Amino acid sequence: MLPRLKVPAYVMLVLVIPLVLVSAAAVAHRDGPTPTPFPGSATDTILRGRYLVMSHACADCHGGFNNPANKGWMAGETGPEMAFLIGPCLVTPGAQPCFHTHPRNLTPDNETGLGRFTERQIFNALRYGVRPEDTPDVTITSTTPGEGNFPLHPHYLAPPMPWPSWRYMPDADLWAIAAYLKRGLKPVHNLVTESEGPPDFWANTYKDQLNIGPNPPAPFPTANEVGGGDH
Amino acid sequence: MVGWGAAPSGQGRKPAPRAQQVAASEPLREPPTLKNLSSVPGIVEVNLTAAPARLQLVPGGPRVSVWAYNGSIPGPTLDVHEGDSVIVHFRNELPEMTTVHWHGLHVPNDMDGSPLNPVPPGGSYTYTFRISPGSAGTYWYHPHPDRRTTYQVAMGLYGGLIIRSAHDPLAERGIPERLLILTDNRFNPDGSIAFPDSQSIQAEIDLENGREGNVLFVNGQVAPTIPIRPGEVQRWRIVNASAARVYRMAIPGQSMIHVGSDGGLFEHPREVKELLLADAGRVEVLVRGEEPAGRTVALEDLPYDRYMPQTRPVDWDSTRTVLWLSETAGPPAPRVETPSELRPVPPTDTTHVANRRVIVMSQGLIDQKRMDLNRVDIRARLGTTEIWEVQNVVGMDHPFHVHGLQFQVLDRDGKPEPYRSWKDLVNVPKHSSVRIVLRFADYPGKWMYHCHILDHEDAGMMGILELTR
Repeated sequence: MLPRLKVPAYVMLVLVIPLVLVSAAAVAHRDGPTPTPFPGSATDTILRGRYLVMSHACADCHGGFNNPANKGWMAGETGPEMAFLIGPCLVTPGAQPCFHTHPRNLTPDNETGLGRFTERQIFNALRYGVRPEDTPDVTITSTTPGEGNFPLHPHYLAPPMPWPSWRYMPDADLWAIAAYLKRGLKPVHNLVTESEGPPDFWANTYKDQLNIGPNPPAPFPTANEVGGGDH
Repeated sequence: MVGWGAAPSGQGRKPAPRAQQVAASEPLREPPTLKNLSSVPGIVEVNLTAAPARLQLVPGGPRVSVWAYNGSIPGPTLDVHEGDSVIVHFRNELPEMTTVHWHGLHVPNDMDGSPLNPVPPGGSYTYTFRISPGSAGTYWYHPHPDRRTTYQVAMGLYGGLIIRSAHDPLAERGIPERLLILTDNRFNPDGSIAFPDSQSIQAEIDLENGREGNVLFVNGQVAPTIPIRPGEVQRWRIVNASAARVYRMAIPGQSMIHVGSDGGLFEHPREVKELLLADAGRVEVLVRGEEPAGRTVALEDLPYDRYMPQTRPVDWDSTRTVLWLSETAGPPAPRVETPSELRPVPPTDTTHVANRRVIVMSQGLIDQKRMDLNRVDIRARLGTTEIWEVQNVVGMDHPFHVHGLQFQVLDRDGKPEPYRSWKDLVNVPKHSSVRIVLRFADYPGKWMYHCHILDHEDAGMMGILELTR
């Protein structure tokens, strides 16, 4: 019995067609206060991280939707309706390989969440897409496997985690998200089943099948865009 | 039986009809014993050489290139008594550096065979150590060089090590014993030992799971037969010398009497239907011959899911035959009373605990780091006691091993250990934790602690504990 396909409002992912991602990250709030600028005190960083988590809809998948007061906020999958099915079976029923992936517990629980991982490992997961449990707590300075502490055989976060888009956030923003997760949330004990996936932990998927795009992005304006000095 | 070795890793095989398998099965042979060159009581002096050889590994198969201790696989058994002084004249005739690690023994730091003390190719080293009182048990020895342990063990370098007490309650009752060293391996179509290309997906699977082979061996034999008379009680000293395989052992229709762990006998026998034995661990069991004569049963390896789902082998849930137990006809064996007391295992005193630590194992990492031979991770003092909570935060099992001592398990996920035993290795299942108590009695120096899945320790899932006075 396959879990119902969960397609969050802003993500649709099929391995056979390129990833189409419409981000809900608003550039500016209209309804509420603009968060205080940073850097400043640790509280500012945590509040900045909270704003980024909310505006990037993390809790749509990781639990709690749009209200940090909701039960299960960022604590990961608590029911099969929150799981994902990734692979060609979305187009052709029964096609293999198809994998169940599960949004993780992002609270700082020591047994079941991020409690034992460092903020740097969380930063590396957002910047480079690498799983914190497989990747040492070191500064990564390259995206070439085997160089600059980038793993020779990277193990990536399972789709549909949109790290290929979140990596365009500035470093300070990613650090702020890590700070919010580790220091702004209370630990919640919720063991989420390990995601399925190919034995290379999506390395070929992200390399060949999904064009995750260069970072830094192609210079503006590309052929699809309007802009430039003498416009 | 031709074709035993030809199936690539990951493919299960349907078992042949029982009679055919038993007919093809050889009687169990035990490895040779290292010859003691000394005639002085209390001294065991042996020669041990690691060298390339050509041996037949698979029944009916060709001779293939292997690396072997003194030309045999398993290597010869080192058989000693508590209190003995042991001298091993070791020669490394391999084309690369190696060490000999006396797994589970309490020995001086520079005799431990750690990656900090490699023996160069063509070199020699004399390992000398005393066998501690109270250490009687079943151990093993194997290479432990930096990043090459998986390869050297897979090529055939491993052997048993038995430490005997002057007062063994089972030996005193005349209970015969057998040493069973379990390993697995896999082979190319030409019979040679198969290693994946470093760029291949199989190499990545091996790195994740640890190296598993589809051919299971006992003392280098495939599914050998052990004869037993009805009513006879035998003692099996079982060593799991695999790189990664966890054995979940059972004999259908009968129970076993579990009497010993890594560090030897514990206090009271326990009757069990099955036993879990992680790689590098040891168990001692008593097996009784059941009526009627002529019956043959298997010691089976039942399915056990220790894997990450991404790399779980497709045949992980098949049951494998480890060996055959054949109830032979003949006069029933004289009745043997298994003792209810084996030997005391005093609890490690925890009134003064110098440090309580949490050691986090994730995938290939300990405390979010890979090992650096130049970095000390834990500093502790000799003569102190520590409690370590070893926590596994990922989705596959990791067996945790500490060099140079035997510890006691206090609890697993908070559930107290039902009996005390000496262990140097404890399997920490996925998403669980185990608390152990360690006493740093003697021998200063840098000691390894690590996941004993060989591919993981080679990749750096290891730390260094420095003991100082």
